Parts: sequence; structure tokens; C-alpha cells
Amino acid sequence: MNCQKSIVISNKEICSGVFEMVIEDKCIAEKAAAGQFLHLKPVESNEVLLRRPISIHRLDREKALITLLYQLKGKGTVGLSKIAVNEYIDIIGPIGKGFPIESEKRCAIVGGGIGIAPLMQLTADLKAFGKPISCDAYLGFRSDVYKLEEFSMLCDKTHVATEDGSFGEKGYITDIFAGNLHKYDVIYTCGPKIMMSKIKELCSTKKLKCYVSLEEKMGCGVGACLVCVCKTKAGDGDSWHHSKVCCDGPVFDAEEVLLND
Amino acid sequence: MINTSTNLAGIKMKSPVITASGTFGFGREYGSFYDLSLLGGITVKGLTLKPREGNKAPRIAEASASILNSVGLQNPGIEVFLDEELPFLRQYDTAVIANIAGNTIDEYCEMAERLGSSVDGIELNISCPNVKEGGVAFGTKSQSVYEITKSVKRHSCVPLIVKLSPNVTDITEIAAAAQEAGADALSLINTLLGMAIDVHTQRPMLANNVGGLSGPAVKPVALRMVWQVCGAVKIPVIGMGGISTWEDAVEFILAGASSIAVGTASFIDPFAPVRITEGIVQYMEKYGYSCIDDFRGKLKVF
Repeated sequence: MNCQKSIVISNKEICSGVFEMVIEDKCIAEKAAAGQFLHLKPVESNEVLLRRPISIHRLDREKALITLLYQLKGKGTVGLSKIAVNEYIDIIGPIGKGFPIESEKRCAIVGGGIGIAPLMQLTADLKAFGKPISCDAYLGFRSDVYKLEEFSMLCDKTHVATEDGSFGEKGYITDIFAGNLHKYDVIYTCGPKIMMSKIKELCSTKKLKCYVSLEEKMGCGVGACLVCVCKTKAGDGDSWHHSKVCCDGPVFDAEEVLLND
Repeated sequence: MINTSTNLAGIKMKSPVITASGTFGFGREYGSFYDLSLLGGITVKGLTLKPREGNKAPRIAEASASILNSVGLQNPGIEVFLDEELPFLRQYDTAVIANIAGNTIDEYCEMAERLGSSVDGIELNISCPNVKEGGVAFGTKSQSVYEITKSVKRHSCVPLIVKLSPNVTDITEIAAAAQEAGADALSLINTLLGMAIDVHTQRPMLANNVGGLSGPAVKPVALRMVWQVCGAVKIPVIGMGGISTWEDAVEFILAGASSIAVGTASFIDPFAPVRITEGIVQYMEKYGYSCIDDFRGKLKVF
């Protein structure tokens, strides 16, 4: 595992409360995969003690660039947003199990809000896959939309919904997705738990493969402290086990994880 | 020649720096960052007789210079530890201390017997604030500390370290009871019971409502308790609680600790225990100390 300081190339607000940070690091860019995350130290002080797990949004392996997308939620992300260009950031990573790619399948990604972040590199990888895999995007937001152009370039068709109707369809992206369920074999989703539950339920009715990328408050980020757990199936029947989101995930087969407990 | 080796009640360690239970898993994760043989010892995640899944998430919350956790002793059980984790740890030249927790005194005794002499020491966890039964229930009254220590001691064939809770009125009374019952060493402090609330959802930040506080914020409390306990007992003490730098570690040693444990700091800097060890060596070089005992307990009180 790596722990090092890497240089921040850019760090700017792309829409209200959502930031994009670009980091240059050859080692991370070479090793990282879609769906993995970096564990970042936002502030060099004890006031914000813990690192923050931020998923990898985009990788440019040739230029050794890693792009992260994050939303201001509290002291940690505010600290991240204040890191200036050319400053160094302390990083552990890349960490976790990313999205598995299944060849010759029809795919869709379903992202909600900042949950769209890890899906971008996945769509890029699907497009760049030996025999390109078809992929549609379903992106849901409360009000402000972002990153639509980039998703449109990488995906065959991009559907957008906002809860307030300010852009795209008014309502929930899950409802739009539900109508097109028959078009796909594999679904990848990341976003609010309630949205991922709904997607899982829809996929389960049609026996579609579904992968969910989970978020949980983390400590060490490497699997030692056992704080970032989720319930996963263990054996037959109703038995379950606490898996670690940081290293058993963050991407799980939706059938394996119990999202509603 | 600087010698950092420590003999903690018969547990031989090449340095006084140990990793604290619950913050280091069974070593595998941090073993991917550095050679675990650099550590004086590893205290493994709290073990129970049967596997435990622990408490619901969220299990962690941040507070000023500290964190709260409510893991609740999730672990694979003592058999899996012996079969799968211990052989991994034994590849390294470092002391292995098994932290054990039970619901009843009999369970603690059974675990001590199962461990036999496969580990270098046993840390009796009677201070976990995150479980309903056992844990801290045994650790807050002198009489029950005496009884459990005496019972488990009869079943252990390796040095027995009793880990004390800070959530008590007078920690020296508890320490004395453990010593009286035959404890070979003490370790302190476990976490302080705490709480954090999300003002927007108006709910506790932890699904368990309350949890154990650790990190730099608790260090002054831990240091005071270690100093008091070192003055009250003759058996060696492992000092812990918020140690993040070598200066923190030296403070505990000056207060009388024979060894120190690094916990939460590893989450922020995986190399913290190694850096602290290096810092202790530099401190010894600077002041011309050849062994830990040259400055251990040498606090000049006012």
C-alpha cells in the first residue's frame, strides 16, 4: 500500500458546493482502477483528524493525472477545497475493489448527485474496452446538474432527471431507468442509499447483474479499524456478515449486500 | 550504543512501541506499509470466544482532535485467530499480545487456556465501552477487577496485562486491585465514553448513540492516569491514549510507562508507530540515554 504526498494541479468549484481536484501522481494513476478511492488528509492539523475517502472520478494514465469530484459536506471537504494549486496532499491509495467489467454486455450506469463521481472512469473504461461495450447513463440530481457533457461523450445515451425539474425530466432518475430496464444486462450504480435500493430492487425483478458502490464513514481506510461496515450475505438463508466497505468494497454485487438494514 | 529493548513483565520487546488493540487489526493491513518486525509488539483486535459482528454503522464520528468509535468487538473469534491470523503474525520478529473479551469470567478463562503459550502476552479487556455485557462491566469496580484478574491469571501461562478503563472515579484503586490479584502488567487507558450529535438530523452521530473517545484530545487525561497509576503500583504499565508523536511517547515514559501503545494515530499516518520509535531513539541520542530505564519515570514533579 502507498502513502505519499502528491501535487495538486487544480482544485476548483464546478458548481455550487461541488469541487473538482486534479492530482498528479504517476504511481497512483498507473495502479488505480474505476471504483477505487483515495484516502486523503484534508488538513495538516489535529482539528480535522481523520482522512476522507474520495472516489476516483477520472484517470489519465498517460499524463499521470487523477481527478476527484467531491461535495462540501463538512470540515473535511471544506479543508480539501482550500488546498491551493501546487500544494501537496497526503494520500493513501488507491484503495478498494472497483467495478468489474463484463464484456459483451449492454450496460447502464445510474448515478445520483455526487454519486456520479466514480461512474465517469467506469464509462471511460467501458468505452475503451477491447470490443466497446454499450453504455447508457442515467443521472439524477436535486437541482444543479454537472458533468453531463463528459458523460454524453462517453455514453451512448444520457438521461437526466432533476427533482425540481430545473433540467431534464422532473422527478427521480429511478423512474426513467425503470422504463428502460429491458435494454440492459449489467447495471452500475452509485448515489443515495434509497436510490441504490430502488435500482437493486428493479434489477432483481429482471435478474440483471447490478453493482453498487457504497459510502460509509471511514477510519483507517485500509481494513484495520472495522468502522466502515455494511451487511453482506453469509451462507444461506438470512444469515449476514459485516463486510468492510473500504477493502471488501466499495463496489459490491448488489445481490450480496443488504442495503436496507 | 542505544538499547531500546524492553522486558515488560517477561514479554521481551525490541522497542517500547506497541500498537493498540482495535486500531491495527491483526497486522496484515499495516504490514503492507512497513515491516512489522520494526514494532516492539502488536496487540491484536479484541478477541471473543465466538465470532462477533459488532454494532451497526455508522461506527465512527469525528470530534475536536479526536474520534469516537462504536465497533463493538467485531472479530472472527479466537479459533480463526489461532488458525489464520496468528501464523501470519508469527512470521515477524515482534511480540504478539492477544486482547481478549468475554461475557462471563468463564469465557475469559477459556480463551486464556485456548491461547496457551501461543502468544507472548494476554491483554484482559475489561474496559470496552461498546458492548452490553462483559467489557467495561468488569472493569469499573475494584472487587470485580480483582475477581476476574485472579481467575484468568490461574488459566494463563503467559504474562497477563489488565487493560484499564478511564471511566472510573479512582483509577489507582482499580490498578491496585488488578496488581493484588496477580496481574503481571497494566495497560491504560481504554477509550473514554463519549458522544456526538448531528444538529441537522438531531440524532447521535454513532448508531450506538455513544462510543469510545480516542485521539490527541484524550492524551492529557491518559497521561495523568498513567502517572497516577505508575505511582500506585509496582507492576509495569503500558501507557496509551492519544499518542501521535515521539514527544507524546516520551511524556508517557517520563511519567513511568515501561512501554507505550499507538492507536488512533495509525489511522491518520500508517507509519506513526515507526516514526515514534525513530523519534524515541533520537531523543535518547540527544540526552545520552543508553536504555529506556535511563529516563523512565524520571519526571521531576513540582
